[in-house]
Amino acid sequence: MTSYLRYLAGRALLWLVTIFVAVTVVFVVPRLVPGDPMDAMLGRLAAAGASFNAPELIAQYRELFGLDRSIGEQYVSFLREVARGNFGYSINNFPSKVTDIVTPAIPWTIGLLSVTTIFSWTLGSVIGAIVGWRGGKSKFFQALVPIALVLYTTPYYILALILIFLFAFTWRIFPLSGGAFSVGVRPELTLKFALDVLHHAALPALSIILVSLGWWFLSMRSLITTQKGEDYILLAEAKGLPERRILWRYAFRNAMLPQATGLALSLGHIVGGALITEVIFAYQGLGWVIYNAIKSLDFPVIQGSVLLLVVAVTTTNFMIDLAYPLIDPRIRQAGGE
Amino acid sequence: MLLQNRKFMLGISVILLLVLLGLVGTLLTSPAMRRTGAYPVSLPPGQGTLLGTDSLGRNIAIQLSEAILKSLQVGLLAAALGTFFGALIGFASGYFGKLVDAVLRVLIDVFLSVPSLVFLILIASLVRGVGVQAIALIIGMFAWASPARQSRAQVLSLKERAFVKLSRLSGQSGLEIVFLELMPNMFQWLGANFVNAFLAAVLAEAGLSLLGLGPQKEMTLGMMIYWALSYGAILQNLWWWWLLPVLTLMCLFLSLYLIHLGLDEVSNPRLAAQA
Repeated sequence: MTSYLRYLAGRALLWLVTIFVAVTVVFVVPRLVPGDPMDAMLGRLAAAGASFNAPELIAQYRELFGLDRSIGEQYVSFLREVARGNFGYSINNFPSKVTDIVTPAIPWTIGLLSVTTIFSWTLGSVIGAIVGWRGGKSKFFQALVPIALVLYTTPYYILALILIFLFAFTWRIFPLSGGAFSVGVRPELTLKFALDVLHHAALPALSIILVSLGWWFLSMRSLITTQKGEDYILLAEAKGLPERRILWRYAFRNAMLPQATGLALSLGHIVGGALITEVIFAYQGLGWVIYNAIKSLDFPVIQGSVLLLVVAVTTTNFMIDLAYPLIDPRIRQAGGE
Repeated sequence: MLLQNRKFMLGISVILLLVLLGLVGTLLTSPAMRRTGAYPVSLPPGQGTLLGTDSLGRNIAIQLSEAILKSLQVGLLAAALGTFFGALIGFASGYFGKLVDAVLRVLIDVFLSVPSLVFLILIASLVRGVGVQAIALIIGMFAWASPARQSRAQVLSLKERAFVKLSRLSGQSGLEIVFLELMPNMFQWLGANFVNAFLAAVLAEAGLSLLGLGPQKEMTLGMMIYWALSYGAILQNLWWWWLLPVLTLMCLFLSLYLIHLGLDEVSNPRLAAQA
């Protein structure tokens, strides 16, 4: 048990360091741009033709992030405010705070991403295992490989465009307008609203699922193929165990380890790709918030969303790390690497 | 060996074909033909122009040829930067070990787990309106983590081999061993990493462009899709405007991935036997 605790402590430390480094990058980057970040922001707004006059916003922002003080003091106050969950004020909707704008978007992004990722990871692993195990014997199984390859190398948002063209524009099965629910509808807890949400989420979800399915399938297939040659499989076969048991209880369980690591490693890519998919579908998650903030030069909102995403991704990674000892007894016993 | 690998050859042929199309299209046209309104608007493919025109009267074939070259340029520059610095950091981490390794490993882990796209969004939204080369530089700055992790692992395994021990005994310095003994053993394998970084960079550029952060005054495949979407190409049923850059991008990704697989198989023969 102590080794498990040591493993946990190591992972928790890495989690905190990651967040700390990432927040530091977010602090440093705007200051590398010549001039005061607030002035730079206002300058760009003026260049874009926006009339902007809110001295109290500028004063508040300066006070909040200590822009008049030394860089060290600025850093400390930035860390303090971020730790309190205070990301400052939106420039475009001044009295609103960044958190007021970002918070409503979070459930949509988490909902879309968690459902699609868990679904495609599970399904891809199971199909990949079956095809990897019986691979050579069936023409149908072999035909799946190049299809998966094409799907995997296509970015979500590219597939999204093709799906919109086919299922929303040409055949009109799914809404063309985008969004997470119909225009004019208020979110409520009814079956009608739930169906409306599903109807709107179908295409964004499908584009993410199809692409990631391709990858989890290919990865599990090659993992199972390597397991097939191992001695313990040979022994299990020699013992006369049923094939189904050897595949699912022996080979599959061992292949799950690298497959789980793969999930943790690719989380960042999944989130990045999904942000742009949201933009294509005008789906009101964080990606859509970032897109609108980019269009309206609302830097504090971009910065707040970026910070939030960093924390979310590293925390999910940490949670996968926590679950790791459950599937790998070696970590439970030896404390891992 | 590499020339006999079917995946590698297929991938490289498609890329060369794309480069050729890009060069021909760019060299055969004058700046006047690239201007907005140089052609009738919204022509479907075939009628007078090869691949049609967009709703601003720009020739799709000409746009596409420029976009292919610019997108490849982004990939090349960003991947070169990312692989070079990644290899350097990975080598330092794996070779020197101890404290250097501890610090660099944490850094590598941090930049691997945080989606680099969010940092790219942050920077690109501050230095808006920059050209293709600046975008490539920004992408390259965040492309080192994955090559670094793999170089580190590779160095750790190479470092214990007899030839490295021998050169250490014969009095070569740390840097000499890294550059003269380790590097040459990793070229082919770094190639696979380079292709991976190339793919990721083209992907990142397309992503930034779709968010409205791409090189506004130049044409890349991502910017082409961005303009097509901004002007409602799907709704107006101008399929040639958005579908052609989409298909080109898919072709590009698929062939880069095939090259990566080919290089992997050649530098790691066990994979080839498996496939």
